[in-house]
Amino acid sequence: MALFRVHIPILDEVKSKGLKPALRDKVDDIFTRVTAGLNMRDVRGVLRDDLPGRPNPRLKPHAEGFWLHMKPTYYHNLVDGLYPTFRLGWLSVYAFAFEIITGVYLMIYYTPSPLVAYENMLDILSNVPFGRLMRDMHKLGAEVMVIVVALHMLRTFITGSYKFPRQFTWATGVILLGVTLILSFSGYLLPWDQLSLWAVTIGASMAEAAPPEVVGTNLNLLVRGAPEFGAGGLLRFYLLHIIALPLAGILALGVHYYKVILHGHSLPPGAENAGEDTARKVPMNVRTYFMPTILTRELWYVSVFTFLLVAYSAFVFHAPLEPHADPLVTPLHITSPWYFLWLQGMLKLGDKVLWGVILPTVIIGLLVSLPYLEVGPSRRYGDRRLGLSAGLLSVIVLAALSYMGTPHYAVPTSPDQEAVASLLPQTQPGPLRLAPWGQLVLGSYQAAEWQQAPTPAMRELLHTFDDEINQVQSSERQNVEGIMVVEDWQTDLKKVTLRVVWTDMTTNQPNEFSQTAFLHRSSDYGQGE
Amino acid sequence: MKWQIALGTLTVLATLIVLAIVGVGEPKRMAEFTTSYNARQIETGGLIFENNCRSCHGPQGKGIEGVAPAINAADLFNGDRLKAIGYAGAVEDYVRATISSGRPVPSQGTSYPQRMPTWAQRFGGPLRDDQIDSLVAYVMNWQDRALQEAAKVTPTPLGEVVGTDITIPLPAGNADQGKALTESNLGCVGCHILAATGPAWLPSGDTPGIGDRAASHIGQADYTGQATTPEQYLLESIVSPDAHVVEGYAAGIMPANYGARITPQEAADMIAYLLSLR
Repeated sequence: MALFRVHIPILDEVKSKGLKPALRDKVDDIFTRVTAGLNMRDVRGVLRDDLPGRPNPRLKPHAEGFWLHMKPTYYHNLVDGLYPTFRLGWLSVYAFAFEIITGVYLMIYYTPSPLVAYENMLDILSNVPFGRLMRDMHKLGAEVMVIVVALHMLRTFITGSYKFPRQFTWATGVILLGVTLILSFSGYLLPWDQLSLWAVTIGASMAEAAPPEVVGTNLNLLVRGAPEFGAGGLLRFYLLHIIALPLAGILALGVHYYKVILHGHSLPPGAENAGEDTARKVPMNVRTYFMPTILTRELWYVSVFTFLLVAYSAFVFHAPLEPHADPLVTPLHITSPWYFLWLQGMLKLGDKVLWGVILPTVIIGLLVSLPYLEVGPSRRYGDRRLGLSAGLLSVIVLAALSYMGTPHYAVPTSPDQEAVASLLPQTQPGPLRLAPWGQLVLGSYQAAEWQQAPTPAMRELLHTFDDEINQVQSSERQNVEGIMVVEDWQTDLKKVTLRVVWTDMTTNQPNEFSQTAFLHRSSDYGQGE
Repeated sequence: MKWQIALGTLTVLATLIVLAIVGVGEPKRMAEFTTSYNARQIETGGLIFENNCRSCHGPQGKGIEGVAPAINAADLFNGDRLKAIGYAGAVEDYVRATISSGRPVPSQGTSYPQRMPTWAQRFGGPLRDDQIDSLVAYVMNWQDRALQEAAKVTPTPLGEVVGTDITIPLPAGNADQGKALTESNLGCVGCHILAATGPAWLPSGDTPGIGDRAASHIGQADYTGQATTPEQYLLESIVSPDAHVVEGYAAGIMPANYGARITPQEAADMIAYLLSLR
């Protein structure tokens, strides 16, 4: 009697069926487990787009597998193409996954401390293979995700899909939009450069304005970790960015997805009677099964999307990296991230509390409660003229407010500083730093005599300078002159001084504003960061 | 459906090709970024030097006799200075260490009246580590030229110096030569500079040029010097700066060694230039 009896089932199979059939059946069995219900013949059928057998084996993975149980088994053939969804929801989820993958790559090389964060960025750019590409893709992906999520919401609004029975789906969608925006915003601070510090400072200053004062002060402390951004604030934004918000996003996404399965995709507004919802009662003859049709479409859609993101980041888009964050130096022309420019625009309209705190809160409240307030039964465009016009108006107002948020609108500055900033801006490299180093000929030049400058690059620079100098001239400021001095300073280093001199007519005294920049032969600002 | 599968497969392949292209270029790109970042550090360091260091170490780091030594000097980069004080490390480390922690005691053989303050935040100064790095990169960028110039220049003896007696007769001065001297490595504009108008002897706002100021100072009741003419006043200000200190300034800041550093002709040139500023 053996102490152990080893029983290997495959051997029994081989004994009864023969070697080849037994192995084939075993492989098929493993295959079926991996695909959660499809054997090899079924998968071949899917790939060939054969008609499924009855009962349809392709429904099995939806019932047995984890991933596909989050997808509907079939769509109405009116919603299986680009219109009316444009697959924006799917694209949002994909962008989220894209951000997680690129983000984890960057996390490996990043420490959330003001002492080393910026150095880490330099390291990612100079010493990590694919470091710059990952950073560019993460940044581009974030901006694209904001656009895609916003368009997804706009589409849902336009087709009226937020109406009964999908009100709650809409509400979770608004939460997801908020998560997307704050995710993007919190990531802004992490590089710890001038751009990130000051863009985020604009946003955080709104927390401080929340009334009453005791709330604002403490809210500000909570957000920034101290009265001003520093080690505490950076760590808080980092934790928000990598833990709190992704977790909130995944939870809200789960609910959102579940509701989409539960209610089905709403049909185009004209396809059903007003007030009816027939998404769950799809007749057999108009069904498009997820497998293989929808699956193929979703896959090619994200393949192309990925290619565009990767190629654009590799060859065109480069995330900016400005000088190290400095709480003591406020650059001229700071702006919030573009998707919050509308808020910055509102802040310029008046009271910080009203425009920066109360109104945004009202807007968020209105967005969440929209489907509960607007309960007209019809989703047809013709019946919703007022609602659609209001939506269109909101988009226009948002665009106008965003324009007002840019430095072009109502920013009090002095024209002499503007003139210098036209060549030497403080938030981007600008024309002087981008000009070919070799064409900066040593000497002193008058902006007004730009035509006599020795090289094309200098003519262009001085011409720009001269145009700006003419803006400085006013009844109070006369005899305005722009002067550019190029000096040889060190090996491969030139010193460029831009001076604006004028006579102040109120005091009849000469006045001057000047700024100096050092330019090195190899500093090469053209590569993006 | 076939074209969709084909397109999906093609774009996946295309993505892989793009990644391969990027991957092949990475070593070159990383090297280029390192080069350009070092260049930008030098640029930033230049601004930091102008704002913080120039007032003592002089324009272009040539030093101001009696205030602070030259940094843009061959003996720093060729190691002589380090040998003299017994520092065994590299020049760059020496520069970084000195900038960071300052100079609590003078080096042997020197007697600069002021101590260099600490500059790095970790030593209680104002500059972050990355700013210190930029400053070091800027200082080290003087190396080539400092060594080259030292090889070319043979020091010429100064000859007769003007001394501290303000009553000696001076030769006729050349104002243009004088202007050039104020901008030379005598180091005048290292300290005598105002943000808005440049060199402090120029007229500025309601204040006339130094020529008029010299004439009016000697007539003032609180004047403590010996000069009886504007020429003598200016010479006295240069060679015996503490004989009379204008209100609002402190005694002992300007080095008192210019009498031993300039010739009577140079003194006359500078005075001619300064008197022309009304």
